[in-house]
Amino acid sequence: MAYQLYRNTTLGNSLQESLDELIQTQQITPQLALQVLLQFDKAINTALANRVRNRVNFRGSLNTYRFCDNVWTFVLNDVEFREVTDLVKVDKVKIVACDGKRHTEYK
Amino acid sequence: MLSNTGPVAKLYLSIIDDVIESMRELFLDEGLEDRVLDDLRHLWESKMMQSKAMEDFRKNNINSSNFVLQLPASYTQTDQDVTASVVIPASQTIHSFPRLKAGSETLATFSLPAGLAYPVQIPAGVTLQTASGQLYKVNVPVVVTQQPVSQPAQKVTAFRGAAAPQPAAAPSKTAAPPQEVDPSPAPAASVTQQPPQNANLPPSQETSALQQPPGPAPETSLPQTEPEVPQVENEPSPHPEPVDLSMTASPCTQLLDFQIRAEEALAQTAPLQTRDIDDILKEVIEAERARSQASTKNDNQAEPVLGLDLDYSYSDLSDIVQLDGAADNSDLEEDEGGVPLEENDFLGIINAEAIKALQEGEGSSDGNSISSSDSEGADELADIVEEDPLNSGDDVMEQDIPDLFDTDNVIVCQYDKIHRSKNRWKFHLKDGVMCYGGRDYVFSKAVGEAEW
Repeated sequence: MAYQLYRNTTLGNSLQESLDELIQTQQITPQLALQVLLQFDKAINTALANRVRNRVNFRGSLNTYRFCDNVWTFVLNDVEFREVTDLVKVDKVKIVACDGKRHTEYK
Repeated sequence: MLSNTGPVAKLYLSIIDDVIESMRELFLDEGLEDRVLDDLRHLWESKMMQSKAMEDFRKNNINSSNFVLQLPASYTQTDQDVTASVVIPASQTIHSFPRLKAGSETLATFSLPAGLAYPVQIPAGVTLQTASGQLYKVNVPVVVTQQPVSQPAQKVTAFRGAAAPQPAAAPSKTAAPPQEVDPSPAPAASVTQQPPQNANLPPSQETSALQQPPGPAPETSLPQTEPEVPQVENEPSPHPEPVDLSMTASPCTQLLDFQIRAEEALAQTAPLQTRDIDDILKEVIEAERARSQASTKNDNQAEPVLGLDLDYSYSDLSDIVQLDGAADNSDLEEDEGGVPLEENDFLGIINAEAIKALQEGEGSSDGNSISSSDSEGADELADIVEEDPLNSGDDVMEQDIPDLFDTDNVIVCQYDKIHRSKNRWKFHLKDGVMCYGGRDYVFSKAVGEAEW
């Protein structure tokens, strides 16, 4: 089972909204929508693992950290994200990270 | 499908393709047509296009900010030239404009100068020039307002009314024949030729939602919101809350009426514990009556407890207490759902001192469970009287935590290693999707440092 972590992304949220609209109009069943989301989890996990090949560095100050159920949640302030091409600064960012070694839990 | 796309957009589109194709067979097994899957795809892609996350692809495609314009087929058929139902000030020029096919439903994507504010009006006779150099003349004055595209397949999308507070993630324009456009500026102007149900539904939902909060307030008076009644009774001053709740009768009679109904319900259900409490309540109420020199006693009801005396003034009822929540011993089943609330009504007219006096008299005779519940109830009564009726003292003051974690800049990823040395943290992350500054990014590896 792939992490359900990526459902809270722009892509995942828009998919969930679209599925909700179809459920509202009764074009699909909630069970089928769940199947779509599970398939989305697999697809995005695979895509990120295989089709993305870039590296990012970042530096900032750590405001809070939390480790619960093998999930790290950080809130950083005044962060600079540096990629090869560009640099982006944000004043606040939240990082949610699941264990990269295990892929058997729902998140 | 899209010629110039950024790497993130390409990845997203490939993921969309993967998901849709892998679900095709499952949809067919469910007996659904391909149309449903295509609808899902269109909805998903349109939402992604509207979001700023795909901005990098948009920037590659068009110079400045885009929006999608939908033209009704009939609109284009009237003129072979492209009739851009986009609103642009006459002084501005359009930088890029994809080709619009005449006579067909058109999906025109074009960009306006970044500083353009909506709604934009294009007077007739404006000539628009595309990036490719093609010239389009606007024959009919049009107004472009900010409108999320609910169903791109439809020829005309409905405008949201001014009451709709939801802003579009990225503005999308819809065409409106000028004669139907409300001359008032702003999103209040709307024309619907074929209003899709989806677009109509949210405004109606919103308006109904707006109407609902004030609606139930008078409606959920005594018959429905039982917990409110004891809370009302708890208020020391005859505050308008009962007045607001009451429709016709005075607060006292309403409370009494409610109590009568509660009594009837109690008579029907009557679990063992409530019976015991009823007995106690009966005696307390009788004590109250004797104290207030009640004249008559109603024998109409099966349970004489609520031979409600109309002589009870509101001031007497004002210092009644509430015995629900922790003090309520009945099971929270649906059949008994009304019971604890009705108990509160009984208790609403009982003073804390009366309860204590009763407990002292009955503590020896009744079982331990009853006495313990009563003592607990008495304590609860005393506590509840002092508390804010709305139990605001129960609130946990953790307001900073939700605000702290509430941000639009989110990175969702997996961690390889998280290291800490004193207050220096090092992060080794992988396979992440980032959203910050309104844009989306992805990474296969991310390394970071932070000081706590």
